Amino acid sequence: MTEDFPPPPSREPPPDKPFHRLSPLTPLVRGSIFLVAVAATTWDDLRTGNLGVLGVILLTVLLAGAVYGWASWLRTRYWIDDRELRIDTGVVYHQSRRIRIDRLQGIDIVQPFVARLFGLAELKMDVAGGDKEGSLAFLPLAEAQRVRQVLLDRRDAVRRSVQPSSVEDASPEGSPSWVAPDHDIAVLDLRTLLLSILLSPETIALLLAVLVFTLSAVFVGGLVVAPGLPVLIGFGLVVLRRFSGYYGFTVSQTRVGLQVRRGLFDRNTQTITLARVQGIVISEPALWRPFGWAKLDVSVAGAGGTSETDGGPSATTVMPVADLAAVHALASHLLRGHDVDVDVDVDVAGIELDLPPTSATWLDPFGRRFMGVGMGDDLIVSRQGWFTRSTHAVRHARVQSVRLSQGPLQRRLGLADVHIDSPPGPVHVRARHRGAAEARKLWEAEERNAKAARLSRL
Amino acid sequence: MSGSDDSLFAPPEAAWQRVSPALVRMRRTVLLSTLGVLALLLIGLEVVLDLPVWLWPVTAAVVLGLAGFTWWMIGRNARRWGYAELEDELYVTRGALFRRLVVVPYGRMQYVDVQAGPVERAYGLARIQLHTAAPGTSAHIPGLRAEEAARLRDRLTAAGEAQAAGL
Repeated sequence: MTEDFPPPPSREPPPDKPFHRLSPLTPLVRGSIFLVAVAATTWDDLRTGNLGVLGVILLTVLLAGAVYGWASWLRTRYWIDDRELRIDTGVVYHQSRRIRIDRLQGIDIVQPFVARLFGLAELKMDVAGGDKEGSLAFLPLAEAQRVRQVLLDRRDAVRRSVQPSSVEDASPEGSPSWVAPDHDIAVLDLRTLLLSILLSPETIALLLAVLVFTLSAVFVGGLVVAPGLPVLIGFGLVVLRRFSGYYGFTVSQTRVGLQVRRGLFDRNTQTITLARVQGIVISEPALWRPFGWAKLDVSVAGAGGTSETDGGPSATTVMPVADLAAVHALASHLLRGHDVDVDVDVDVAGIELDLPPTSATWLDPFGRRFMGVGMGDDLIVSRQGWFTRSTHAVRHARVQSVRLSQGPLQRRLGLADVHIDSPPGPVHVRARHRGAAEARKLWEAEERNAKAARLSRL
Repeated sequence: MSGSDDSLFAPPEAAWQRVSPALVRMRRTVLLSTLGVLALLLIGLEVVLDLPVWLWPVTAAVVLGLAGFTWWMIGRNARRWGYAELEDELYVTRGALFRRLVVVPYGRMQYVDVQAGPVERAYGLARIQLHTAAPGTSAHIPGLRAEEAARLRDRLTAAGEAQAAGL
């Protein structure tokens, strides 16, 4: 999978091709944090004209950094030809990175805050079968978008000419007629975003903490309030990260797939190739259910299992909050993929879910009533969770392997689990604590369906 | 109860291919050598620390009890390993206490590993591990005779290439 592109014998750039440079503002953006730090520490000294030893050292380092940054900018050049993107970097050690255009999975446009102030953006290249990523930082936003389009167009052209029918990345022949070239299909409005963030478990935790601290302040005295401060700051950070990460969340349809744009300070653009979608998860936290809201996550092959760990936004999220109907529509769109003309049943809501037998109460007294599994003509769907009800769905055609398992307690109760294995990501369809005979039937049926779906694709 | 278990984890068509009996011998030998080292350590400890005499039979009973249980489990576990090669997929079953049955389509396999450590080699054994794009698949078979492992690897690789479905 990861064989390297054989490097040409000569180190020299292709002579007939003019090179491109990054934006000359790049060193400024990269060094901005240091610049601010130096300015902040030496500002008073600079004004009085009386530089201390520290000030002189800092200014020297700053000067050296500026020279290095400028040299680095001068040394960084890139070329795009029909087959590869070549990036040469390095002041002391030279490095030449070549990225095969036909291996590009996706290109994300990222705008960190400072870069955004200067109207710059970073291009991040996602390459199949490797964690060696290529990146061009920074380019003017318009140029970044142009380069991205050029690369994606070339990739499609190369793929069409080289491999007419690749199974792994079954790109559609041309763009399907129903897709407008570029239009928004879902936009997150500010009110919903704010409300959804406030209606999170963190808020409840904060309210509880405030209650405890107020009570202790009343009964014990003001001293106990101090430890509450880190809690407050932590809460504020989580809320802020979520807000700035999901701000202006827009899902749009482009020729190459679904595009997700988000971010208040750091603008993020990410493309989800429909052919690589493995499955979806719809999460409905308890606090959102009165409003009928849900969140949609997706597993994309090769994207790995990045999840929302530190309260920040996650790369797997396709819609952080929306009406259940809108989420279901988006989910169907993702699950359908390129099978536009084929009759496929991708309606997650339309699949009936069965509860596990009552004997499962012994193993999961509380959760049993919230578990369910169901199978449609093209989908297998499972649900679990009381506080956050999550519904996982995978197409039979995407199932990697099917697993049946039984622990000693389950054996005593005549129960068993069925797991559907998917590539790394948030999606994990599982039927827990089913009756043994039913589990065996489900396992056999899913294997049959997956086989039929797989064979029909070959 | 065992009747219903067998139907739950029964092979799809043909009978299970079981792993080599040398696996049990290997694991029990490893168990005995670990036990020997442990016994020496415990004896040394009790002599050095001059522990009371009544501790001797107690430790011996505990260690021997655990060893006996492990001895028995090794046999049970090895008897339950099994695999079946069908036309389009490989079935693997394992586990005595926690039982598993996984079906891996040849077309989904990314690569196949064959490993043999020094102890395994001494018994002429090897283990085979199948990888799909999903980390949860966890299909491995220990205790295959070396030539059987090589045959299975070649067969699986060939079938995987012929039916490659990727992702």
